[in-house]
Amino acid sequence: MSADFMHAFQSEWQKKRRSLASYLVVVGAFFTPAIIIVVRLLHHDALRTLYAADDFWTLLWKNAWESMAIFFLPMAAILATSLMTQLEVRNNAWKQVHTLPLSPMTIFTAKLAVILVMLVQFIVLFNVGIYLSAVIPCLLVSGTPYPHAPLPLRDFLTQDALYFIACLPIIAAQYLLSLQFRNFLVPIGVGFLAWVGALAALSWKFGYVLPYTYSMLNYLKDMPAGRAVVPAFDVGWLAGGYFVLFVVVGYGLWVGRAQKG
Amino acid sequence: MHCLETDALGHRYPSGEAVLDDIHLRVPEGSIYGFLGPNGAGKTTTLRLLLGLLRKQQGTISIFGKRLDAHRIEILRNIGSLIESPSLYDHLTAPENLALLRTIYRVPKAWIGDALQRVGLSGTGRKKVGQFSLGMKQRLSLAVALLHRPRLLILDEPTNGLDPNGIVEMRELLTRLNREHGTTIVVSSHLLPEIEKLATHVGIIHKGRMKFQGTLDALRHTRAGAAVTLSTNDDRRALQLLSAEVPDARCADGGIVLPAMSNERIAHVNRRLVEQGVGVHGLGVARTDLEAIFMGMVGAEA
Repeated sequence: MSADFMHAFQSEWQKKRRSLASYLVVVGAFFTPAIIIVVRLLHHDALRTLYAADDFWTLLWKNAWESMAIFFLPMAAILATSLMTQLEVRNNAWKQVHTLPLSPMTIFTAKLAVILVMLVQFIVLFNVGIYLSAVIPCLLVSGTPYPHAPLPLRDFLTQDALYFIACLPIIAAQYLLSLQFRNFLVPIGVGFLAWVGALAALSWKFGYVLPYTYSMLNYLKDMPAGRAVVPAFDVGWLAGGYFVLFVVVGYGLWVGRAQKG
Repeated sequence: MHCLETDALGHRYPSGEAVLDDIHLRVPEGSIYGFLGPNGAGKTTTLRLLLGLLRKQQGTISIFGKRLDAHRIEILRNIGSLIESPSLYDHLTAPENLALLRTIYRVPKAWIGDALQRVGLSGTGRKKVGQFSLGMKQRLSLAVALLHRPRLLILDEPTNGLDPNGIVEMRELLTRLNREHGTTIVVSSHLLPEIEKLATHVGIIHKGRMKFQGTLDALRHTRAGAAVTLSTNDDRRALQLLSAEVPDARCADGGIVLPAMSNERIAHVNRRLVEQGVGVHGLGVARTDLEAIFMGMVGAEA
């Protein structure tokens, strides 16, 4: 990894300070866990039984990921990518970025890398939120024991990695769109329509060809049949393939522009 | 030695309309080069090409003796620029905006405070740039351009949005940078008085073509070609009397304007009019300040 890339990455990371995208990552990651905490506090009578269950962590994990996999994670990927890329458009700063002593490849990959790290940050914070949603009710409601079931950390980290991979095509597609269109509404609008399309295509046997379906399929693959047609193969490869395709096309279109900034 | 040179630089819009045609810029090392022209003359397009913000279609660009195509990153490391409106991140403070660039240019942290002090923005504290006035943003943009102490500054209309006091301060700052650090400065403007007070060299562009390039003194010497103005008690009759000898004479601005001519010929014109009974109230050389020369150059084809 070149020193130029590291410095460009650092610079991009500094840009996200106090930006809407950085707030979105924190708020989005803790939203579902906060709801779970509130619901559990409201139904505190049932906590003792719930916390004594052998599959406590697995149930909590599934509960937490339902809204995240179907809605919040794809939306966070769409919004965070578009917001981060639009920082330059909104501040009229592309011309400044293009006059920095950096190669176009470095500029392109540094910003993309920051968005990917933000996605990791989002998932990590969500995991912290899930853990807190387990711990806080038993601290606040007397008589609720700490769950005795072992925490299946390895399984959860594997799931995290799969969700991360599932989001890669969304990020690459949104990055491509945000670099191409100055109007913020275009990438957001297309992203939202693609998400709705993915949702509608879940019961279609070829729904997996849509690159916005993978986080949903990843969640629904362990669910009873009927909620979605989950392909027999690992969609992670498709997600990776789409990511590479969108990144290459996005870079080609971006670097080939006659006017920069 | 030229810090910046272009040869046969040309640019066309996708429609085929020429924006720049055969531009040969010669910016001497250590000079303050005023790039003058009316709005839409091609100044910003030229500067964008120099910075690689527009894909070059025709001609060559050399900066610090090296071709921009082949040594882009190395060249950009020594250039500071401000093109059109400020390029700043509104959600960050002034030092944070500079810190982003410090990381890229790998310069000491102390240079951030130094750049802010130079432009008079050292006291902005935690105020976000979004709350700055246009003048403050323009100053900060200049600090961005100065941060890494470049050898060449390319500034497109840097006084936009500044109040009169700010314009004077900006001029003094640029002059000091040039004098003390030998920084070469290319500064574009459509305001001649601004350039006249700042530049050592001038390039005048109009409709995408260079009309003049040289020192400010050389531009002043073009006054030899200035027109003659004549004021009489009967301009119509005076024009008739002179029509054979001075066919280009014309009425303008409440008097008669004659093309440039020798002192002897001016005396002859005066004598002839008086002999024919036309009262001559005034006779002189038309305005020969830079503005008149500039207007003569860009106005002739307007």
